[in-house]
Amino acid sequence: MSEPQGRASSRRSFRPWTRLASWWCGWVALMSRREPGTSLALFRIVTGASLLYALGSVVAADLVPLLWLDVEHGGYRSLKGGWLVQALGGATPAVVGSLVGSSLIAGLLLTVGVCTRPAALVATQGMLALTTLNIHGRSSYDPLLVNSLWLLVLADCSATLSLRCRLRHGRWTSDRLVAAWPRYLVIVQLVVLYTFTGLHKISIHWTPAGGFSALYYILQQPSWQRGDMTWLASVYPLTQLGTAVTWLWELTWPVVPFALWMRTTADRGGRVRSLVNRLPIRAVYVSIGLVMHTMITVLMVVGPFSWITMAYYPCLFRPHELQEGWRRVVARAGSRSAVRADRGEPASPL
Amino acid sequence: MRLSLRVTEESRADPPSNPSRWARAWPHVRALLIAMHIVAVVVLAIPDAGGVALSRSAWKNPTVQAELEAWAQRLSALGLKTDAATLEHDVFEVARSWTEGLAWLRAPVRPYADYLGVRQTWRMFVAPHRHPAKLHVEIEQDGQWRPIQVARSHEYRWRSHQFDHARVRSMLFRYGWKRYRRSYRAFAEWIAWRVAEDFPAASRVRIKMVGFRTPTPQEVRSGAIPEGEVRQTIVLPLEDRR
Repeated sequence: MSEPQGRASSRRSFRPWTRLASWWCGWVALMSRREPGTSLALFRIVTGASLLYALGSVVAADLVPLLWLDVEHGGYRSLKGGWLVQALGGATPAVVGSLVGSSLIAGLLLTVGVCTRPAALVATQGMLALTTLNIHGRSSYDPLLVNSLWLLVLADCSATLSLRCRLRHGRWTSDRLVAAWPRYLVIVQLVVLYTFTGLHKISIHWTPAGGFSALYYILQQPSWQRGDMTWLASVYPLTQLGTAVTWLWELTWPVVPFALWMRTTADRGGRVRSLVNRLPIRAVYVSIGLVMHTMITVLMVVGPFSWITMAYYPCLFRPHELQEGWRRVVARAGSRSAVRADRGEPASPL
Repeated sequence: MRLSLRVTEESRADPPSNPSRWARAWPHVRALLIAMHIVAVVVLAIPDAGGVALSRSAWKNPTVQAELEAWAQRLSALGLKTDAATLEHDVFEVARSWTEGLAWLRAPVRPYADYLGVRQTWRMFVAPHRHPAKLHVEIEQDGQWRPIQVARSHEYRWRSHQFDHARVRSMLFRYGWKRYRRSYRAFAEWIAWRVAEDFPAASRVRIKMVGFRTPTPQEVRSGAIPEGEVRQTIVLPLEDRR
């Protein structure tokens, strides 16, 4: 009698490990998935263009000396810099010029899609060195841009929509499969960005107790406003609505990966899964995000923050969803052209 | 127990005919590294009170004091009797302990953040600054002072392509706070050199921050906009800068 009992007890104690091993195998399988590189290619293109804008605007405004040179070389205060700047010899015109130049070239390579991994690594280190030189001139988009660049080091992001694809296959697009896990990391980064930004919003003005007045007052600050924003007083209830939506939208972003997981595992069934899959959760969150970032771009001057963030959005969609969406757009445009041709109207050049 | 991978049909990679030991282990190593990356990102993103947020002087700013007052009133109304000074003391102590604990938790992943750029500082628009300041630059010419640059002005736009840039706005936002007075002074010196280049006839430059309380919607509607007050005025001669 004692032996079978011992075996049963041994089996019971083994069960948690079996479940853990099963989870681990599921995780390994998920991280081993491969898919076309469309989502990551779009992430690369917008990130590369944002990098060019972030640095190009500083060069165009002749702000490199003010922002990143030591006071001994034309700057306004003493700058030490991180390990790379110190190793290269300090915040001198030659060192800073090399960092700016190499990062701009890397941004160009990323945008067109050649040598993307080395380019992303050069840009990561270049931007990290530059943006930690003078933290007073740093913006919140700097760490996000560097995060994006590091994810592009990890990803095979030039499989399609790239010059590399064109040179190798004679066309701009390809269905060559790439690892899907960098796209998952992009989603994780976006969720972390929004959720923790929401958690940081501890001011009473963001909450019902403060009358949801945060956006109205933030837009009155001269530091970020594009121009005089006192006119917002006449649409104050709209700013309150915007505050409430922004706050709740940011805090609840973990719902998005949950919904994506439910959709990916739709074949497993279950009431919760089928309910979640009937709700347009991703579409709602993406739509609010697009409206919010458009409003930020129109009303505020915060550099390329919105573009860097919106570069993450294509990765919320599986490549075949993006391809299907693009086909629909093209088909709709094609049917409009056909209608115009029937009416004898000239076709659009696009 | 046999570990097997469940790979979906549409995403199955072609397996090598005779995978080496390393090739068999790699998916597990990769999955572990990805999990470590995610843990690092989350640990680094947890809100803390680092930097300026743990400066006692920063907590004396009118914006912070108004926040504490508002929270103290709200908590008292909910039955948790407190006042702004007690709340400030309690929150400051909790914030300090929390930040120290987080520093310990983050220590193993700090090099990953610092050397590969995986920093996660998402303190964006934490609170509206109710007492901001605007930069004013004036020059003295023929004994008369006149403005040449006023932040967000359509009239006084000297070097606006520089002063309006997001990075310079970021600097000026900080320099409205007292704790940055040394850097503000250094920036004023930089402005003086540029003024000396662009206005050869000017004898002095005056750089100041005009602070104000942002108006409530009711104040805007009734036209009772709060008046600004001049802070941090620096006057610099220009002769020896030419």
